[in-house]
Amino acid sequence: MAFNYDKYLRLEKMPTLWCWGCGDGVILKAFVRAVEKLGIDQNDVCVVSGIGCSGRFSSYVDFNTVHTTHGRTVAFATGVKAMYPDKYVVCVAGDGDALAIGGNHTIHGARRNIDITLIIINNFIYGLTNSQTSPTTPQGMWTVSQKAGNIDPTFDACEMGIASGASFVARETMLDPKKLEKIFTKALQHRGFSFLDILSNCHINLGRKNKMASAMENLEWIDKITVSKKKYDALSEEEQLNLFPTGILKEDKEVREYMDMYQDIIDAHQGKRGKVTQDDFKKKI
Amino acid sequence: MAAAAMIPYPGDVSVWINKDNCKACDICVSVCPSGVLGMRYDSTSTLGAMISVDNPEACIGCNDCELNCPDFAIYVADKKEYKFAKLTDEAKERQEKIVANNFMSLDQQGVK
Amino acid sequence: MEMRDVISSGNELAALAGADAGCRFFGGYPITPSSEVMHEISDLLPKVGGVCIQMEDEIAGVAAAIGAGMAGMRTMTATSGPGISLKAENLGLAQMAEVPLVVVNVMRGGPSTGLPTRVSQGDVRQAKNPSHGDYRSITLCAGNLSECYTETVRAFNLADRFMQPIFVLLDETIGHMHGKAVLPTAEEVKKAIVPRKKFEGSPEDYLPYQCEHDQPAVLNPMFEGYRYHFTGLHHDAKGFPTEEIETCRKLIQRLEDKIMLHTDEIELNEEFMLDDMNGEEGEVLIIAYGSVALSAKESIRHLRKAGIKAGLFRPITLWPSPADSIKKYTDMIKNVLCVELNIRQYTEEVERVASRLDIEGLYKVNGRAISPHEIVSKVKEVF
Repeated sequence: MAFNYDKYLRLEKMPTLWCWGCGDGVILKAFVRAVEKLGIDQNDVCVVSGIGCSGRFSSYVDFNTVHTTHGRTVAFATGVKAMYPDKYVVCVAGDGDALAIGGNHTIHGARRNIDITLIIINNFIYGLTNSQTSPTTPQGMWTVSQKAGNIDPTFDACEMGIASGASFVARETMLDPKKLEKIFTKALQHRGFSFLDILSNCHINLGRKNKMASAMENLEWIDKITVSKKKYDALSEEEQLNLFPTGILKEDKEVREYMDMYQDIIDAHQGKRGKVTQDDFKKKI
Repeated sequence: MAAAAMIPYPGDVSVWINKDNCKACDICVSVCPSGVLGMRYDSTSTLGAMISVDNPEACIGCNDCELNCPDFAIYVADKKEYKFAKLTDEAKERQEKIVANNFMSLDQQGVK
Repeated sequence: MEMRDVISSGNELAALAGADAGCRFFGGYPITPSSEVMHEISDLLPKVGGVCIQMEDEIAGVAAAIGAGMAGMRTMTATSGPGISLKAENLGLAQMAEVPLVVVNVMRGGPSTGLPTRVSQGDVRQAKNPSHGDYRSITLCAGNLSECYTETVRAFNLADRFMQPIFVLLDETIGHMHGKAVLPTAEEVKKAIVPRKKFEGSPEDYLPYQCEHDQPAVLNPMFEGYRYHFTGLHHDAKGFPTEEIETCRKLIQRLEDKIMLHTDEIELNEEFMLDDMNGEEGEVLIIAYGSVALSAKESIRHLRKAGIKAGLFRPITLWPSPADSIKKYTDMIKNVLCVELNIRQYTEEVERVASRLDIEGLYKVNGRAISPHEIVSKVKEVF
């Protein structure tokens, strides 16, 4: 029997509205396979998505789903997680949603290290609204809001995730669905904030006017700009400039998760322990 | 609109497709190592083309087509249900030709 | 009903009301003059196993609160004018997706940064439409210390009844007022909790947004086997986005009708010294709410001593406005004075429902209270 995706899909919404060859579908399937692999009950999963093509993710999968306002997935998810700290809460957002308008919430969700898995579907553009510049659009590419060429510098989302305090940070692409499935299983099992930068293709928007008008050409470009972390670390700075390291970039299983720490607060207020003080933390600053 | 994303295993095949879901993106054709697949002209579907399983007997059961399809349009049998072929040089060569033919089946002209 | 004496401040009573009324999540951000609500509830909620998180900004505060509401819990946030402005988009999502939420706004001088530590009632008009599009706001206004508690409790029951955000306006004077409040006991409040409706049938039959044209959605808590979709887009019976002509029309009309066809469940007023009014020459009707009503009541005692028959109509539910009740009095009494700490925000509503353009007004927007003396002088001046 081939893998039965039907169980996890809202079949009345098929086929998806995503363009032909869009990585969103590959990512969705890998996620669903990860849930199945871990034996997680559908009722125990909440998927919160943002605005954009990736935002439609939540309406296609049969979990407890939420489609929020632009950029606010992590904040909404924090409310859900706070009430049900033992359930799986997953955010799906695009690069603009999670890193531009939602940057602040992404940073602080990571800082709290609350047990949420954030899947950033990073296709280097604002897709749904047709080709505006995002924080990851390479300089010099054509976008509809910068038709004379994009001058906005980019930043490495994973470095931001690490600096913000996320305890599990990884980057993969939709080129290898098996690796994607593995990283999703790891992230779902990780008790803490999982920050996943998933590089994807948008040949319809980013690619069309930037010499990668077909899915295949866009995928080749993604292949060209990524390399495993092991190989990346051995390269010179010049070689590293135009490459993204992929794989697990940070994994800290020791640092405490936010709702686990909040239980200490509940216990303190209920007289089961003393107040939380600086002595409870290794980090004093 | 498909009533189910999945078409149940029709039995006795290596790989089968769901034409209602295929958006003709070429990805499955590009990742097949064995020249099993190709696109065919079809004036009634997206981009004027539709996936076709031209050489099912050459399928090695690697599952890459299914894993890389964004749209639930292609399925591969389980190793327990079907005896898959081994990868041959002939199959590899055919795959190269299909890619060079812009992912179209070899009896089709190479531009969609 | 069993009552108790509590010595506290307005803000703290709002927090206490939340904890007593079953609130289990507070998402907020510090902003003068509302921060004390968060400070107090950060101690009260963990005591009962609830969670209070100071989020990274106002938007995250309401977003987390709405998330908790979507998960199925009673939830709350508190802020002031600038915070409501920031929260507006997500308040719209809560309206559209029909998520219960209590929003306390401790009003300060505006617009913009305004007068952070001083009183105003400048957010009344904003409370009617903080977010874009068509929907109906339910806005309550506490007019004394006890109401900071009782109105917040009422807000939670209204939120679950009508499945939307409920605004509880305190002005800074009431929020920071400290004294004795006579309140129902926590047990009385608990007894009177009316939680949101729940669908008990089989998950296959569950259609959260399929309801009568004047009823709110029935949204089951998450993680109990009833899987559905929340979205701010126009949606169908299961919550999925749609653009279908009739579905969209019916949805927005239902958001309107679920409130406007049930205002009897929402309206609450105080009629102070109005029972001996009958439309005689010289009678004066004062309309005021919030802390201004306290001054108005005092001024009425003075006026009556001076031989002027005055009374106060105090709306406690500001929106939807008590149109029929106001009109009953404005039809009867010629001299009407609206007193508010803003420029005509509620006066315009009174004029609208009374179909009169000759409503007098006494306004202040410099962050200072209106004294009973000022009201007495104004009445004597204009009538």
